[in-house]
Amino acid sequence: MTDFTIVLRSLSLRRFSTTVTVTMVAVSVALLLVLLAMRDAGRAAFRRGTGNAHLLVSADTSPLVAVLNGMFYANAPSQPIDWAAYMKIREAFPWSWTIPTQLGDSFRGSPVMATSKEFFTSFEPVLGQPWTFVAGKAFEAPYEAVVGAEAARLHGLRVGSELVLAHGVGTASGEAAHEHEDHPVEVVGILAPTGSAHDRAIFTSLETGWCVHAEESRLKEAGAANPGEDDHGHLHVDPEDLRDSEKLITGILLRVPTRPGEQVSSALPVAFDLLRRQFPFTVAQPAQQVGRLFEIVSGVDTLFIAMAVAVMVAGALSVMLALYNSMDLRRRQVAILRVLGASQGRVFGLVLAESAIIGLLGSGLGIALAAIFGTVASAELQRRVGLVIDPTMDLRTIVLCTAAATFLACAAGIVPALRAYRTAVVQGLRPLG
Amino acid sequence: MNALSITGLELARSGGFRLSVPSLSLAQGEQALLVAPSGGGKSTLLHLIAGLEDPDAGSITVADMPISALRGAARDGFRGASIGMVFQTFNLLHGFSAIENLMVAMMFSSVPAATHDARARALLAELGIDRPEQAVETMSVGQQQRVAVARALACRPTLVLADEPTASLDPANAATAIGLLQRACRDHGAALLCTSHDPSLRAHFSRVIDLGTAEAAR
Repeated sequence: MTDFTIVLRSLSLRRFSTTVTVTMVAVSVALLLVLLAMRDAGRAAFRRGTGNAHLLVSADTSPLVAVLNGMFYANAPSQPIDWAAYMKIREAFPWSWTIPTQLGDSFRGSPVMATSKEFFTSFEPVLGQPWTFVAGKAFEAPYEAVVGAEAARLHGLRVGSELVLAHGVGTASGEAAHEHEDHPVEVVGILAPTGSAHDRAIFTSLETGWCVHAEESRLKEAGAANPGEDDHGHLHVDPEDLRDSEKLITGILLRVPTRPGEQVSSALPVAFDLLRRQFPFTVAQPAQQVGRLFEIVSGVDTLFIAMAVAVMVAGALSVMLALYNSMDLRRRQVAILRVLGASQGRVFGLVLAESAIIGLLGSGLGIALAAIFGTVASAELQRRVGLVIDPTMDLRTIVLCTAAATFLACAAGIVPALRAYRTAVVQGLRPLG
Repeated sequence: MNALSITGLELARSGGFRLSVPSLSLAQGEQALLVAPSGGGKSTLLHLIAGLEDPDAGSITVADMPISALRGAARDGFRGASIGMVFQTFNLLHGFSAIENLMVAMMFSSVPAATHDARARALLAELGIDRPEQAVETMSVGQQQRVAVARALACRPTLVLADEPTASLDPANAATAIGLLQRACRDHGAALLCTSHDPSLRAHFSRVIDLGTAEAAR
């Protein structure tokens, strides 16, 4: 028989109250952990996504929108950049690399980005981590596609699968998106997961996108010339036949030269100013815009944390209430222990240990709840918003939360413990009734 | 050595309650019945002897230790080790088995931990409890009484204080119970001070102390 046995027996005697209190603590801990993990994971997902691009040029109205559209696939940019402008930008500065991108098509709700081959060789989706293929290779010819890890998983795509692209970023069911039925695109490569927004995209060559659209618009012209004729199949546009007006892109990723192994360059401000002065486009520094985004949401963020802390305090108060109320039931138990020779200090310790155990049990359960909820919530976020979030909680947060919950539970236990300490033994011994 | 010595004990409470015990002693192993009119302070005197309450004046010595002079944890420890208590409602720890009730008592004493289990089993067997692992709240009143007696003796006390131990029993069982308590105390060398309002118990004791008369002084 040890003090610990007495504490456990006491907790199990008041099973209902113990269960409710432990649950209350668990919910508070879980809420706090999930909020913290989601915040960190959300930030990480955004930070990762900008990769090693220094600048992003688009015709969007603001730099933040440009980055959200161009790097996180929020929407298709509404205004195009023509090929001639791209060539000028390319020549305007000794870039390390330039990558044109064109957004606007989709496959069952997954964004399709047409781009150049350098996207896979020069652009790193995550700093210091180039693309890797789990199957196949980068596209070589028109009508070939490379699929991001999440998109492949979502649609069950493999090398050799055929996709029918749709115009417009429609919903998953394909409504409101016009399908380019005649030109299935073949999957030639599947990318490894990067934990960035790129995982949910599908990539084709620029020519693929251009040809598909050119055929469509030329068919429309022909249809207008010969009303009543609705013959799709005969018109075929080869990449060589593309008119310059059909070569449209929606964004350009740029990187200025840096010393080997370095990410920043003193040339960046110069390049930034040059683009802003000489071209009528929006120029964004992705990393900076992501920072701005965090600034915008940080107020809400603080509010969330404050709420979670409030819930935790409420949990602590409920521990106190439960223990305090149970003191009436336990007056006798405390009195008997005192008669048997337990000192006031020891009884105080026993009651305090009870609250500590409630805190620890609650934390444990809360961590489990948070893990389950985090997994479910990240799947939902992925499905609805397309934000790839890794819900793993870091050990430091877990330890801190457990310590905080246990400390709060102990603090809440002090009042009832003091009451147990002061309980008049004689009164506790009187026959009931 | 006396099991118990009281001199000049005075206690007054609001409401006119007064308890005055000029002198009272109990030799080692001696057994006495403490009688008084209802509200005459029998229970209060037992609580004073156990150090659960403090007198206004006077001294109480148990096994040559002035318990009224001890403070805090020292007094609690001394009570646990030297005084066993039996209550009318037994005051067993619910949620614990019979043997666990004894082991909790020994936990707060100086009895070596390694001997707890064996001693608890032996005591319970001696008092006729054949299922020591049974939860006390599921036991019959008679069995609970036996467990309470066993627990009072678990730490080899010098003095056992019994507060109306037979009040919840019918006369036949009361006689059996008091016999059991007396025999157990005798066997274990503990003095016994028992309170009761039941006049039939007088026959069981060679010494009766009446708080209402001068007989308390001896």
